[in-house]
Amino acid sequence: MDGGKFFGAFRASSGITDAVVLNHVPVGCNWGAGMFKSFSNQSDIRNACTVMHEREIVFGGEESLREALIRADRLYDAPLILVVAGDVPCIIGDDIEAVIGSVSLKKDVIWMEAAGFRGSMRSGYEDALINLVPVMEQCDQAANSVNFIGFCPDDFKVEADLREIKRLMMDSGVAVNSVISNCSYEELKMAPAAELNVVIGQGTELAKQMKDKFGIPYIEVGYPYGLRGSRDLIDAVSDHMGLGRDLDREIDLQPFEKIYLYLNDIYGTPTSVVGDFHAKSMAEFLCRELGFEIEVLSTLDDDYNFEEEVKNSNSAILFGTSFEQDLAKEMRIPLVRFSYPIFDQVWIYDDAPYAGLRGAVCLTETILNTVMGFEDKLSDLELRA
Amino acid sequence: MRRFCVYGKGGIGKSTIVSNMSAALAGNNMKVMVMGCDPKADTTRNLMGHRIPTILDAFREKGPDEMRLEDIVFQGYNGVCCAESGGPEPGVGCAGRGVITAADMLSRLGAFEKINPEVVIYDVLGDVVCGGFAMPLRNGLADDVYIVTTCDPMSIYAANNICKGIKRFAERGEVFLGGIIYNGRSAVDEPSIIDSFAGELGTQVVGRIPMSDLVPRSEIHHKTVIEYAPDSEIADTFRNLGRSIIGNKNKVVPEPLSDEELNEINRKVEDLFREKALKR
Repeated sequence: MDGGKFFGAFRASSGITDAVVLNHVPVGCNWGAGMFKSFSNQSDIRNACTVMHEREIVFGGEESLREALIRADRLYDAPLILVVAGDVPCIIGDDIEAVIGSVSLKKDVIWMEAAGFRGSMRSGYEDALINLVPVMEQCDQAANSVNFIGFCPDDFKVEADLREIKRLMMDSGVAVNSVISNCSYEELKMAPAAELNVVIGQGTELAKQMKDKFGIPYIEVGYPYGLRGSRDLIDAVSDHMGLGRDLDREIDLQPFEKIYLYLNDIYGTPTSVVGDFHAKSMAEFLCRELGFEIEVLSTLDDDYNFEEEVKNSNSAILFGTSFEQDLAKEMRIPLVRFSYPIFDQVWIYDDAPYAGLRGAVCLTETILNTVMGFEDKLSDLELRA
Repeated sequence: MRRFCVYGKGGIGKSTIVSNMSAALAGNNMKVMVMGCDPKADTTRNLMGHRIPTILDAFREKGPDEMRLEDIVFQGYNGVCCAESGGPEPGVGCAGRGVITAADMLSRLGAFEKINPEVVIYDVLGDVVCGGFAMPLRNGLADDVYIVTTCDPMSIYAANNICKGIKRFAERGEVFLGGIIYNGRSAVDEPSIIDSFAGELGTQVVGRIPMSDLVPRSEIHHKTVIEYAPDSEIADTFRNLGRSIIGNKNKVVPEPLSDEELNEINRKVEDLFREKALKR
């Protein structure tokens, strides 16, 4: 399910971890976007809203925005306000730039037009990142350092995955300069200090602009699921920097050996994978490393009815978002949640990633436990039916 | 209850016609209600003698829960109940949504049940520019529409455009075109042009308003002609127009003209200009 441009811009903006995101939208849009973010970070309340009602639609939302800006400036201890303008102000033509220019604020302000009807969530994410380029400062380059581009603060297991990716990088002699968008305002400003931009799944437009403006080259890689995915990431970065690291010697297969009989049992399982850009990398891991047969792969960029295709497939397990739970129930197959949005599970332990070498173990464990626990769940479903 | 809307190009005389017709019908012992659907909010000025607070003024100041009917509906000349939708300042917000909100507020406050008018007239701004200004055409608010036009090409063009909007709703059976009101106040005054235009649309001319200096003179005093010069010929014209519309049974789905057909009318208008110049 694609939340449209507003969701993408909101997610990109929320990733500036010390900024206030001021949504210039009716309350429903604000709640919808914020809800997915708050499942596993309920103490993060850097989210304000102009709460547009009918009055603002008829008379314009400029006054509400002005008031909200002044209040956000006063109430939040933050260096930056990011104004995300959704459908309504874009339809009625609120002059947001003029409003921002009319108030004297202590904080920096960046605004972005993000009407949901103007494009996909991905385009909202890309455009929002482009809006952040002007605050980036030309600075001295730190050798062997990279930025990661493509993350969102509400991605499933994002903290754990980043911790693992940073560990892999550090062990390869590479420092992570900024993670976009999951960094502070200061880290964002200093993003041009990196030697290389590593784009994972989305954010290519930002990487292109940073290349033009700051001369930073970029590479595009898949999400590092599994042993192969981790190796691909490290190889791509190491090759670019001429570091050379043989990951194969470091891979610990012991956890997998402990359950080799089960791995043998699930080999060849027909599977469908649905999600954002993570889906392709997940499918590659399942196929290459666990030997699953991929029946349907939908990255949601495709404008087709994947549900019908999944239903008509022989899939015995489904990988997706929380939105796929009804489909999995209907098909009476287990669902492994891995892609945004996930709103029926929490992810708070930052040492249990899905990405990287450790992630390969956690992910395999999750898959096996989901399959093994499904017997009970299925009986429960049948009882209820 | 007889409910109809009056549309037409901006400045064509809609508010003058609506206010005079309302005063005339009310003078004939009918309970009349007029709603101006234009942010300029000047439909009812000549009935009230001054501008009235608009529905959206009350909405902005009091909010939807604190508004009362007496804040937004006022009694004018001959007891005509007057309301104005109003709207945002030029260049901000959404005036179309404002018309929808204003109509909602009237319904929410039970205006039609409490006032129980026999005739409701909506005076809508220049063109059906968006869904908001088509509001009186929808949801059973009006039975039919009357379009005011002169012989001027742009006025005919606007009337034809309005017919495109009406056709959409007429095909759903929501509202129909009742006819054209011809206003003779233009450089060329040739009723046959509009007779022919109406015929091509599949409708009729329900009334002809000749040019009269009594109209601007009464408006200088913020009055209708019915009040200012009740015994004048032009006052009778408005009375006749009101009667024609109330009794009109001829309601159609209009067939808007093509650009070529409109150009043909323009050529006739141009010929009339030439003749006029030769006579000089």
